[in-house]
Amino acid sequence: MKPALNLDENPCRPRHFKPAPCGALPVEGPEKELLETSRMRLVLTGVLFALAFALVGFRLVDLTVLKGGDTKLGHAHVRPHTEATRADILDRNGVLLARTLESEALVAYPKLVDDAAAAARKLVTVLPDLNQQDVRAKLSSGRKYVRLKRQLTPEQQFAVNNLGIPGIKFETAGFRVYPKGALTSAVVGYIDSADNKGLAGIERGLDDELKTADDPVELSLDTRLQYILTEEIQAQIAAFNAQGGAGIIADANTGEIVALASLPSFDPSDMSGVNEQALFNRATLGTYEMGSVFKIFTTAMALDEHVTTLAGSYDATNPIHIGRFTIHDDHAKRRWLSVPEIFIYSSNIGSAKMAVDAGADRQRDFLGRLGLLAEPKVEIQEIGRPEWPSAWHLVNTMTIAFGHGISVSPLQMVTAVSAVVNGGVLHRATFLKYAEDYRPAGVRVLSRQTSEDMRRLLRLVVERGTGKFAAAPGYLVGGKTGTAEKVDGRGYARKELLSSFVGVFPINEPRYVIMVSIDQPHANAKSMGEATGGWVAAPAVSRIVQRMAPIVGIPPVDEDSPEIRRALLVDFAPSLGRKIAAD
Amino acid sequence: MSVLRLATWGWLAAVGFAGFSTFEMKYQVAQVDDELGRVNRLIDADRDQLRVLSAEWSYLTQPARLDQLRKRHLALAPVTRAQLGSLEQVPFRSGETAGSPLASAPPSPAASAPVRLPGGADLASVKPGAAR
Repeated sequence: MKPALNLDENPCRPRHFKPAPCGALPVEGPEKELLETSRMRLVLTGVLFALAFALVGFRLVDLTVLKGGDTKLGHAHVRPHTEATRADILDRNGVLLARTLESEALVAYPKLVDDAAAAARKLVTVLPDLNQQDVRAKLSSGRKYVRLKRQLTPEQQFAVNNLGIPGIKFETAGFRVYPKGALTSAVVGYIDSADNKGLAGIERGLDDELKTADDPVELSLDTRLQYILTEEIQAQIAAFNAQGGAGIIADANTGEIVALASLPSFDPSDMSGVNEQALFNRATLGTYEMGSVFKIFTTAMALDEHVTTLAGSYDATNPIHIGRFTIHDDHAKRRWLSVPEIFIYSSNIGSAKMAVDAGADRQRDFLGRLGLLAEPKVEIQEIGRPEWPSAWHLVNTMTIAFGHGISVSPLQMVTAVSAVVNGGVLHRATFLKYAEDYRPAGVRVLSRQTSEDMRRLLRLVVERGTGKFAAAPGYLVGGKTGTAEKVDGRGYARKELLSSFVGVFPINEPRYVIMVSIDQPHANAKSMGEATGGWVAAPAVSRIVQRMAPIVGIPPVDEDSPEIRRALLVDFAPSLGRKIAAD
Repeated sequence: MSVLRLATWGWLAAVGFAGFSTFEMKYQVAQVDDELGRVNRLIDADRDQLRVLSAEWSYLTQPARLDQLRKRHLALAPVTRAQLGSLEQVPFRSGETAGSPLASAPPSPAASAPVRLPGGADLASVKPGAAR
């Protein structure tokens, strides 16, 4: 750098001012390069800033002058979850079964209330249904917190607010409503509204999900079918002066429970004075000796394990004496019976012999495969544990063959029967709706052929056997009756029966399994002194089928058309060399 | 000199405009925000109403209640087998049969399929006798 030689040439230069120690700009050399780079950087930064400010400026002009800008919708407004939040419960068609509504409750902090008497007087003027003495007592009780009134209307809230009493506050509280009342209570259950805790049914089984879910819980139930089932069981209970009843309609191909009734029932919105009996779920928690409906499994086992065939036969001439038991037939024919005959006339002797041929191990394995020996895993917790003998002796094999000495719940029955008739695939029972086209995989438990044979046999029971009253004109119903003597202390009570019918519809291509059980029916004149499954439960199934078929879209058919005859034909009694079909 | 002046005034104007419009914008946003809050409260109130009303609706449409009302006010009964049939069971009028291509054509597979019910209740208004 050249020294500035002529600094003092300017006479006006202040004494303290010293010019920068640089002279004219260098025209070449490294200094010039340095300067050039610096300038470039300055310019670049300047341009960047200018651009940024221009951008802000443009946006400003755009927003203010041009009123531009796209108005994107923000997120939909969602209210935050609270203590009382609980998801709705819907049926499979979206019908509301349970919902939590919010309302304002009037509460008070007595310590903050100056003049309890005046406050009570004022409150009663706007809330006439409150008792003034009562309110006054509460306000002067010295407690920390009292609740004065639930479910205020907005007008009442406004009026109370206008009174301006210190220490009087509002609190948002939820209350659960069950619009279908007792109709769906066996599955839906109920909650303790004070702490939002499910106490029974889905409310208890899916308690956590209901508290956290934003979307409603969709059940597999169909309210319409639920009504039909409940009403028909109720009619039978009334007609036979019975103690109670249970019923289930299940989808044979998915395991979905589309209707479930347990009578007597309770209304979850009014739990005062509800007794144990009404709260007890007979369809899932109650386990019963089912009687002859169990022959479905005995026969299916014998056919599937190739112990016998539809052409086989057993001697049912004489009762079997074993130990202190005698096994005899209710509809005794006193002769050799073919396998189809054993099934349709519900022969205990024949079924017992069939089971003995198969053996205890195969019987236990088969029943186990059908899920009859373990508690079913479903969404509700009121599930009964099946009871069966720990030591499976010969006599147990025989009695279990016709449904005594083993107790299972109706829920287990419909699940197992579904597997027997749907082609042989067991589906876990569920109370939640599957998507429209979803088909759960399931587990194969018996062969397709056995399943088809069983469908023919079940149809035969309704056409010619003990289940004639289950026939519904125009619809193909198959099924099996069952009449069990209820265990009374140590022995069986001959007069206390559990009369059941398990129906399958339509039997040529099963879609629904319908079970109806009537507890302790009393024979009447109309039933000609009978209180068996065929007289008590079968007619209900017939009416249920006729009422539900149009709803679920199953068209009526001509039962006598050749195709259907052929599809359901059973060579009735080939080994006996006579045509029983004529009778 | 004068060029510099002009530019300065220009910038001053721009700064003034920017300041004013920013203020204006903030004010507008606050207003819109208030409006949003108001609308959200309205939505909440409407939703509450809807929740209450649909619960009420579900209560009023209890099957047992509908059944009672039906018995009291209507001459309707559940659909019976006699009301259901397939298309091929429908007889054509004799006059139409001659020239109608529809009648002479063989029934299509779709036409021979049995009539499926859409919902049950819809056909309940058809009386068994009305079809002849």
